Amino acid sequence: MKQLFSLLLATTTLLFGKPLLGAPIELGASVQLTGQFANTGRYYGDAYQFAIDKINAAGGVKIGSTREKLVLKMLDNQSDVNLSVRQYVQLVSQDKVNFLLGPFASDFVLADSAIAEKYSIPMIQGGGASDQVFSRGYKYIFGTLPPASDYFQSTLDLMGQLKPAPKTIALLYADDAFDVSVADGTRKAIGKTSMKIAVDQRYSSKASDFNSMLSLIKSQDVDAILVAGHETEILNFIRQSKTLNVNPKLYAFTVGVPSADFRAALGQDANYAFGMTSWVPSPALKDDYFGNAEQFAAEYQKRFGYEPDYHAASAVADVEAFVKAIEAANSVDPAKVRDAIARVDFDSLYGRIRFNAVGQISLPQTVVQVQKGKLVPVYGPKGAMEKALYPMPAWGKR
Amino acid sequence: MQLLWQILINGVLLGGLYALMALGLVLVWGVLNIVNLAHGALIMLGAYACYYLFTGFGLDPFGALPLAMALLFCLGYLIQRCVLNLVIRAPMFNTLLITFGLEVVITFLAQMIFSADFRTVNPSYAGANFLWLGATVPLVRLLAFGVALGLTFALWLFLDHTALGRAIRATAQNLTAARLYGVNPRQLYALTFGIGAALAGAAGTLYGVVSQINPYIGSGLTGKSFAIAIIGGLDKSIYVLVGGLFLGIVEALTALYIGPTYTDVISFGILVVVLIVRPTGLLGRTA
Repeated sequence: MKQLFSLLLATTTLLFGKPLLGAPIELGASVQLTGQFANTGRYYGDAYQFAIDKINAAGGVKIGSTREKLVLKMLDNQSDVNLSVRQYVQLVSQDKVNFLLGPFASDFVLADSAIAEKYSIPMIQGGGASDQVFSRGYKYIFGTLPPASDYFQSTLDLMGQLKPAPKTIALLYADDAFDVSVADGTRKAIGKTSMKIAVDQRYSSKASDFNSMLSLIKSQDVDAILVAGHETEILNFIRQSKTLNVNPKLYAFTVGVPSADFRAALGQDANYAFGMTSWVPSPALKDDYFGNAEQFAAEYQKRFGYEPDYHAASAVADVEAFVKAIEAANSVDPAKVRDAIARVDFDSLYGRIRFNAVGQISLPQTVVQVQKGKLVPVYGPKGAMEKALYPMPAWGKR
Repeated sequence: MQLLWQILINGVLLGGLYALMALGLVLVWGVLNIVNLAHGALIMLGAYACYYLFTGFGLDPFGALPLAMALLFCLGYLIQRCVLNLVIRAPMFNTLLITFGLEVVITFLAQMIFSADFRTVNPSYAGANFLWLGATVPLVRLLAFGVALGLTFALWLFLDHTALGRAIRATAQNLTAARLYGVNPRQLYALTFGIGAALAGAAGTLYGVVSQINPYIGSGLTGKSFAIAIIGGLDKSIYVLVGGLFLGIVEALTALYIGPTYTDVISFGILVVVLIVRPTGLLGRTA
């Protein structure tokens, strides 16, 4: 029976190319399931599959009078950009998937989105926030992470309200596409405040030793440290600032802080670190398939055995955006679906999904802080939330 | 001035750890003529051994160090006995490829077994430090530095002043002559590789205390160890210490005065220059 079906499918494919109706809709993705980015990559792999299972369980995607199932064709790019590009070429040219979901990280998205554009297959990705991804005039790439240049905006807003107000800032950032975009945006944003940048340093993405930078920061006695980097670097940064007894009034990080892994690795030393998330699993975020964000987080934890963070929520939103767009276009024609994606506007467990002219959504970052081992939201789009612990006590006085 | 002093201290302490990381690589390279590309992966395993001994059995990382070394010694011995001895007389390129393959396999298995989660070995004194002549000295880094010095010295003693050590060096210098004197090269190669792996295990233990651990730290550490080995030269284990300290100080100064994004460019740039100007290392005899 199965053979007969595949024979039938093969024949239709031969005769008509990709069957327009009567076949499941394939979403292709190349994700970092192994390699140095596997730690974050797993959110995408798991969340894509979870969302697709949930949507299929609810009946699938409605096209005309029929309902089609979604199928995920996922490849492991082993955290290698070049391999991920080859895999996306394979997905569109050999596997002939209908649509593309993205990998994690801006460097990957920058390279992979070129494939989507070249073959005119829409890609919705929740892994690349760098402004560079959206500044090339591409028509087929959409993103559900807020722009990298805005990442520290809410943190700076919070800092403007703290007493005693921080006056000097050290800005450190890794030399990849995402973190450079963050730094460019942050530099501009700091320029609009009364705070001054005392140290502005770019470091190599694989750095594990921050002692020189920390010594410099210490000698300048800066009030606040903002770091745009990767979780491994941020873990080392915090550990080494403890060993060198560097005591700013606050430090804030682009990534890492919201993940449970981060708190587990640092234990008590994670306390007082500020971070940001575009997503808080709140029951107020309603979703067609998961109920709401809180229910999603609980189900996700149960199924995969670890807490989801905004990467996972963003990945679910990518799949849902495809469903909405395909249903609105009433077709799986790539061009029609692309236009429908540009027009989607719906509420999801991740937030409101509506793409701007360049294909990116805008979501405010909520500032979070680790307080006594728990993640506490301290500043959101509507202003202060729970009380921020500031200034942070010196390492010797904790 | 104060800052420069602090940076120099940072560099020296970092250099000690670097030297220990490279020590095992240099031993295996010098004696077996194998550039062990899986060396970093062995360091990573040492770090995980320490992590599990610390979190599972509550062993202090410095107490776990000999155990981690023993575990890695056994693993290294087996790798040499069962894999590398089969190709020991093959061209260097083959052994390079084999150790490269081993690195990939070990890393993959580590991810399956340990997961990609980031770990740290965080004893209560991990953040302790003291002031010395105006510079902040992190305690664990100083201890790590001491262990690195001690092991380098011990290796030198072992190679220069014990019968087994002399046999190892003799095998490296002239295999036929060593055989005539009753040395069993297979056994000796496995012992040497085991010692190299044990040193990687020690480096990994200390690395876990000062840094974070994940299954992918290996390849970067191999690269760094390789640079130190070239800069210091392969002649004597003491030279590794010089190579490590040199690289540690240069990296610390580069990060401050040129920019942290250039540290790798500078350290591997020095590697290239050394290979051109003094191919036997900074202290090695020139040909």
